[in-house]
Amino acid sequence: MLTAFGRAFRTPDLRNKMLFTLGILALFRFGSTVPAPGVNYQHVHDCLIQNKDSSVLALVNLFSGGALLQLTVFALGIMPYITSSIIIQLLVVVIPRLERLKEQGQSGQAKLTQYTRYLTVALAILQATGIVALARSGRLLPCTDSTGAQIDLLYSTSVFRIITLVVTMTAGTAVIMWLGELITDRGIGNGMSLLIFTSIAARFPSQGTDILRSRGTATFIAVLIAGLLIIVGIVFMEQGQRRIPVQYAKRMIGRRMYGGTSTYIPLKVNQAGVIPVIFSSSLLYLPQLLGQVWTSNHTFTNFVAKYFTATDSWTYIGSYALLTMFFTYFYVAITFNPVEVSDNMRKYGGFIPGIRPGRPTAEYLEYVLSRITLPGALYLTAIAVLPILALHFLPGAAAGNNQSFPFGGTSVLILVGVGLDTSKQIESQLMLRNYEGFLR
Amino acid sequence: MTTALSIVLIIVSVLMVLLVLLHRGKGGGLSDMFGGGVSSSLSGSSVVEKNLDRMTIVCGFIWAACVIGIGFSLK
Repeated sequence: MLTAFGRAFRTPDLRNKMLFTLGILALFRFGSTVPAPGVNYQHVHDCLIQNKDSSVLALVNLFSGGALLQLTVFALGIMPYITSSIIIQLLVVVIPRLERLKEQGQSGQAKLTQYTRYLTVALAILQATGIVALARSGRLLPCTDSTGAQIDLLYSTSVFRIITLVVTMTAGTAVIMWLGELITDRGIGNGMSLLIFTSIAARFPSQGTDILRSRGTATFIAVLIAGLLIIVGIVFMEQGQRRIPVQYAKRMIGRRMYGGTSTYIPLKVNQAGVIPVIFSSSLLYLPQLLGQVWTSNHTFTNFVAKYFTATDSWTYIGSYALLTMFFTYFYVAITFNPVEVSDNMRKYGGFIPGIRPGRPTAEYLEYVLSRITLPGALYLTAIAVLPILALHFLPGAAAGNNQSFPFGGTSVLILVGVGLDTSKQIESQLMLRNYEGFLR
Repeated sequence: MTTALSIVLIIVSVLMVLLVLLHRGKGGGLSDMFGGGVSSSLSGSSVVEKNLDRMTIVCGFIWAACVIGIGFSLK
């Protein structure tokens, strides 16, 4: 394992790529700590200490690595890009024109990516305005000084200053998008997911010291061991796949022989990855946001606070679990189309032994897929919900919010997923030159 | 001083957004974001893209300088 790392660093090409990626990530983290122009850093710092346990905006804060509540230049983080990818992905199913674009292959995909980018900027403007408005009215981090007066997060609330702030945050999002694309292009791994990875990982040390300080060494070690076990479990489930054998017929084209090979279609247990969890937690975050913006309407606010903001309420846990299940099936249905796969196989003379090409193959794939997705969906739901339940029922554990729990479901799932993916990419790069990789 | 820097910052920010949007998007969609499909974009960068990169980097430097400058002048 370590010798493989050594080899990776001795290969000049690979070393450059890895160093480039690390450099960009460092730049990203640096930008996540620089306060945006017009933000009173000292006041924000004081308010953050007062608002330590507030669960509002927790998910968005998670994805921005704590940058959001500090109102830094990169406050919005990668969230606008994720949201816009989700929206475009959903629209592809709904709007026929986009569906046709997707079927066009490479060029259509490029166009879809471009749409995603435009939408990202639009969403960034929206979110930046929303957050700045919240900060201005003092609802982002409600806090008071010793005399009971409201502490202002901004130096001045003149329109000009506000516009500067919004425009800067929007540009920050554009810069993040560009950094991510640079990593995808010239570094290693997928840039966007690596940026999320660093945002989440960056919060671990401070959360770890929090637990160490407030609960003592024994709890800290217990949490570490539990986290390790969870990681092992997640790796096990993520790697699980069913391999459906596919045989290709031999074909002569001119004087050359094609095909005659046998491969397999890997159907992963968790084909959908982390996306269902992200979808459902984003959706559940909407009522909270509405309740926050709409504070004058008390019945609505109280309703939301009772049933959806409190993460230990049964309605919250129940709807979270149901939504995660639903989105797992939904996303698998979007990403893996059995009819398309069977058509493609037939086109190139492939078949599953014992099953006729065409419709029977599609039906067989559909059957296997829906069977294998059930454990996947259950596993995702368990990962998402169990930490909340554990926090709720463990004696002595405060009913905090699940997102700030360091080894809570979503964050570990993302960390492991991205980590596996990136190490696989490094390995395949290494394979170009050596034959021994990380994973034996 | 702060006002002048803010005006420069707004202009550079808008420019920055436009420049980034001019780039050809790399990596597509959510599916390969969290370890989904395998995609390899083996496309070299053209001269246009190279110049665009250079301009974006210069813009980024000015942007960062403005942000830090305002930060110090407001303190």
